[in-house]
Amino acid sequence: MPERPHRWGMTVDIDRCTGCQACTVACWAENNITINTQDIVNERRGYYWIRIERYWEGESPALKVRFFPVLWQQCANAPCEPVCPVYATHRSVDGINIQVYNRCVGTRYCANNCPYNARFFNFWERWPPEPMNNYLNPDVTVRSKGIMEKCSFCVQRIRRTERQAAREGRELRDGEVQPACVQTCPTGVFTFGDLADPNSQVSQLAQDPRHYRLLGHLGTDTSVIYLKRIDP
Amino acid sequence: MRRDREQPNEVRVTTPEEITGDVLRRYQAVGRGYWIAAAVTAALFLVGVMGLAFRLAGGTQDQAAWGYYAATFAYLLTTVQSAPLVSMGLLFTKAHLQRPISRSSLLFAFPGLLVFLLFIPLLPLIPPTKGRNSLWFEWPVGAPHVFDTLALGFLVLSGLVYLWMASWPDLLTVRTHGRGWRPRLAGFLAPHWQGTQGQWRVLKKALVFLGALYFVALVFTNSILSSDLSMSLVPGWQSAIYPPYHVLTALQGGVAATIVAMGIWRWTGFRSYLLFDHFWALGKLLLTLSLLGIYFWWSEFIVYWYGRTPREQMVLQLVMVGPYLPVFLSAFFFSFLVPLLSLIWNRVRQSILGPFLVACSVLLGLYLDRIRLYVTAFAAAQVSEHPIEQVPAAHLPDGADIMMMVGLPAGAILLYLVASRLVPGISIWELKESLLLRKARRFVQGYAVTLGKPE
Amino acid sequence: MQDRRKLTDSKINEDLLRSVDHTPRAFWIVAGFLTLWIGGGLFALGNMLFWGLGVTGLNRPVMWAFFVTNFVFWVGISHAGVMISSILRLTHAEWRRPVTRAAEVLTVFALSTAALMPIIHAGRPWRVIYWALPYDFNRGVWPSIRSPLIWDPAAIATYLTGAALFIYTTMLPDLAVLRDRAWGKRPLRFWLYAILSLGWRGSSRQWKLQALAGILLSAVILPVFVSVHSIVSWDFAVALVPAWHATIFAPYFVLGAIHSGVSAVVTLMALMRRFFHLEDYITPDHFDALGRLLIAVALGWFYFFFIDFIFGLYSRESAEVAVMELRLFKAPYNILFIIFIFTAFLIPVPLWFMRRVRRSVLLMFITTILVNIGMWLERFIIIVPGLQYKQPLDFTWGEYSVSITELAIVSSTFAVVSLGILLFSKLFPLVPLSDQKEGQRLQDEIEIGKRSVPAVIREE
Repeated sequence: MPERPHRWGMTVDIDRCTGCQACTVACWAENNITINTQDIVNERRGYYWIRIERYWEGESPALKVRFFPVLWQQCANAPCEPVCPVYATHRSVDGINIQVYNRCVGTRYCANNCPYNARFFNFWERWPPEPMNNYLNPDVTVRSKGIMEKCSFCVQRIRRTERQAAREGRELRDGEVQPACVQTCPTGVFTFGDLADPNSQVSQLAQDPRHYRLLGHLGTDTSVIYLKRIDP
Repeated sequence: MRRDREQPNEVRVTTPEEITGDVLRRYQAVGRGYWIAAAVTAALFLVGVMGLAFRLAGGTQDQAAWGYYAATFAYLLTTVQSAPLVSMGLLFTKAHLQRPISRSSLLFAFPGLLVFLLFIPLLPLIPPTKGRNSLWFEWPVGAPHVFDTLALGFLVLSGLVYLWMASWPDLLTVRTHGRGWRPRLAGFLAPHWQGTQGQWRVLKKALVFLGALYFVALVFTNSILSSDLSMSLVPGWQSAIYPPYHVLTALQGGVAATIVAMGIWRWTGFRSYLLFDHFWALGKLLLTLSLLGIYFWWSEFIVYWYGRTPREQMVLQLVMVGPYLPVFLSAFFFSFLVPLLSLIWNRVRQSILGPFLVACSVLLGLYLDRIRLYVTAFAAAQVSEHPIEQVPAAHLPDGADIMMMVGLPAGAILLYLVASRLVPGISIWELKESLLLRKARRFVQGYAVTLGKPE
Repeated sequence: MQDRRKLTDSKINEDLLRSVDHTPRAFWIVAGFLTLWIGGGLFALGNMLFWGLGVTGLNRPVMWAFFVTNFVFWVGISHAGVMISSILRLTHAEWRRPVTRAAEVLTVFALSTAALMPIIHAGRPWRVIYWALPYDFNRGVWPSIRSPLIWDPAAIATYLTGAALFIYTTMLPDLAVLRDRAWGKRPLRFWLYAILSLGWRGSSRQWKLQALAGILLSAVILPVFVSVHSIVSWDFAVALVPAWHATIFAPYFVLGAIHSGVSAVVTLMALMRRFFHLEDYITPDHFDALGRLLIAVALGWFYFFFIDFIFGLYSRESAEVAVMELRLFKAPYNILFIIFIFTAFLIPVPLWFMRRVRRSVLLMFITTILVNIGMWLERFIIIVPGLQYKQPLDFTWGEYSVSITELAIVSSTFAVVSLGILLFSKLFPLVPLSDQKEGQRLQDEIEIGKRSVPAVIREE
């Protein structure tokens, strides 16, 4: 336990996003997410821990395409937390909304109450088919039917890095922890770090005049901070 | 069997002739106390009117300055104007117990005139509905001004008509048995009433109809006025329970006002009619309404507090926990907690003084509650669709405000006093009817009351 | 207003205990049919538990639908019992007498069924013990009392306990009658009733205590009764979902519950009158009185509905407007909305204003069935469009369509409640004997001139 609790956060620079979906794939591989087959998508039960939303602005030829990565917002004031009857989702000391799969009974109240629509329910038991199960990440639980799941900021990586640092007897370095999406993004859209540390790169970026939060009027105080796109 | 609990010095009047004679005698005897009360309230009313004149001289541009006036108006609307419902309720529930109560509550319809007059200066203060949240959605033309006026006017008028019609049979009694100028006045007020069977049938039907109409009008008027004069002035305040809350506190205020009036009637003469039973029954009603009041308040609070969105937090700051916290707490204490904590005890509820004192506390609490709701709204008023971002500091009353806050309710009391000299303070015909329908019978080992329930 | 017929005590016993004494063939047919129906529901449930909630029509934005609607509906129905028994008892309404027991029994079975729904609807029902019963003393992991879903089981358990106690206390004298009748003839039943009747002898002390307990329970259960549906409504109101997040929900839901609950009682009474041959006890007067009560309740409910509707649009927020649009203009919600508003309000209430309708058992039966169809749809229209509207920040706008599994499970809950009441009537009288006899003794008449006016003797 560090003396000063972390508050893990992320900035998302929309200006850099090209909509290549590499983050989505990385997230899928890292977190053992169910494969979004055609059936699942047609049932409207797809799993996108991080998704690239695509918006069209204007008419051709002045058409503009906006790409907009939406992941779980890690609200400090999360609407999903108090409504869970069994503490399956609650806030950890280092500022992550953790989802405890063991405790979840699947009331799905949190999904209703999430204004960002970032929670996913396991409607079926989905064990990956034969060769695919060899891809599974051993650090991450495969979720059974009837429970909620969502982006965890790759908590397994955070913990691994923390353990590593503790073994080496040092503090965590800024930028040492990298969730899968951050690591993969070719254009560096995401910056991950400790928002409680004023000198970290992510805190610096969060001060950027372009910063804003999604659905800020709800007062959810998210840990994911977006940086606005400025059209040339 | 309630015999044992009846207080020994209470005399029940038992024959129709006795009732007529006794009520008329007390109605005609105007004591010194009455004149003193009339003089004091008249003087205070004058002060109130002067306060209003000062305020009017300041113009209607400064909306915040009118907050306390609006609170006073709303207070009178929710007490005086809803008190007659207590009497109308008995027609629907066919409750015999409330018969002697009916006139003391019904006389409150007369001060309704003042309520209507007080509404007029508020009209220019309601901002146009364009560009802000309001019940009217910029439609129809003339709303809210025209419709608020029409609704309130209709309410006041139907109250007066009800009072007038319900006193026809008594006016006949005054005309035939009264002394001095009263028979002439009674003849002027109800020249046509003969008491034939046809007239009775029409009267009974009309009273039921008018009572229902009055109730609907009361709910409607309270709903739209509460929204137009307070909630819709605060941008971002969107609480669907607020109009029903206003209606509920209006009923509470009406019952409280009736209990207070009954207490005063009892101690100034009508001792043999307004009995312990009536205070007890109305005390229970007041307790129920107060509990419902807490419930309604809580259902607003929990949703806003749990939701934790900044918009709702600001509204809570504004009307509850912000600068008006002392007002809110004392209003809550006097109008909800005092009835709850005192009236649940049999010793307090089953008495005359207990419900009376609690009713006084409720009346005080409601005044504070109206101040909390209306002064804040008038102080925060701004035409915008964006939620408020800063809670304004508490707006304190100035001299004119205090003059109005004391004087205008005194004016309502004065009108009540005037009305009490126009018709007898106890409904003679309803009492006589209850003598026919209420008999004491031997039952098993004791006495029980048999109540007739005509179809 | 009351029925003026004088009935002897033995006649009352014989008439009201007919359902206990005789088992006609129709009973077996109906009970068998209901059991089969429930069996179908159980099969669907087993299928759903095995495969997961994927077999339902739920999808990503619409996480709550049919089961939750049904939960709210049955909790609503369960408000009938206390409304009838407790409020009418406290206000000395004479006409409550034949109605009370049936209403309370309906409460208990409706509430038990309602309590099943959230468990069925959960993703892992076998884990529900975490949630409903705080059992984990060793690891110190307790349920989160901040969640409205924890308030729910607490409220329902309290209400269920209260309602069961209520039935039991008011049934003690009847149980004693049953015990005495079974003596020597049916030993098994005799022992059942003997144990249940707690040595009731009908001494004046026992009567006094029983009456007192009835009044106390009525008064104590009233706040519980209001709280239960309020808490159910807060499941929705405290959430941030547009059209759910309304401060008025608590009283609005409670009034809606009374509206549907009292209607269900009327339906039940009409059935009892017809099939248990209770024409002497459940008379058009009772339907008349309940019809008047329903008018008042329905108008009050409509006021709250209307205010909720208006204030949903009040802020003109895009989300609220989108939900309203979905409700009013998009199929199937527009059709459901029209059906709802007509069946729950526009058809029955004007009809009830007519005395002839209120006194017709058949018409009251039909109108109250209509009300409950409408009220079921009302809950559906509140719950689903709030989730299904095109939310910002999401591209999976699923539409909810009900699956056969949900239909089977939900429809079988109706069979569960019906079968419960039917079996109850096999063991206990559905119309309270003692109350009925008391009513006989308290009726009186008053002569006024040439007319005699019906009257009641009242202890006051």
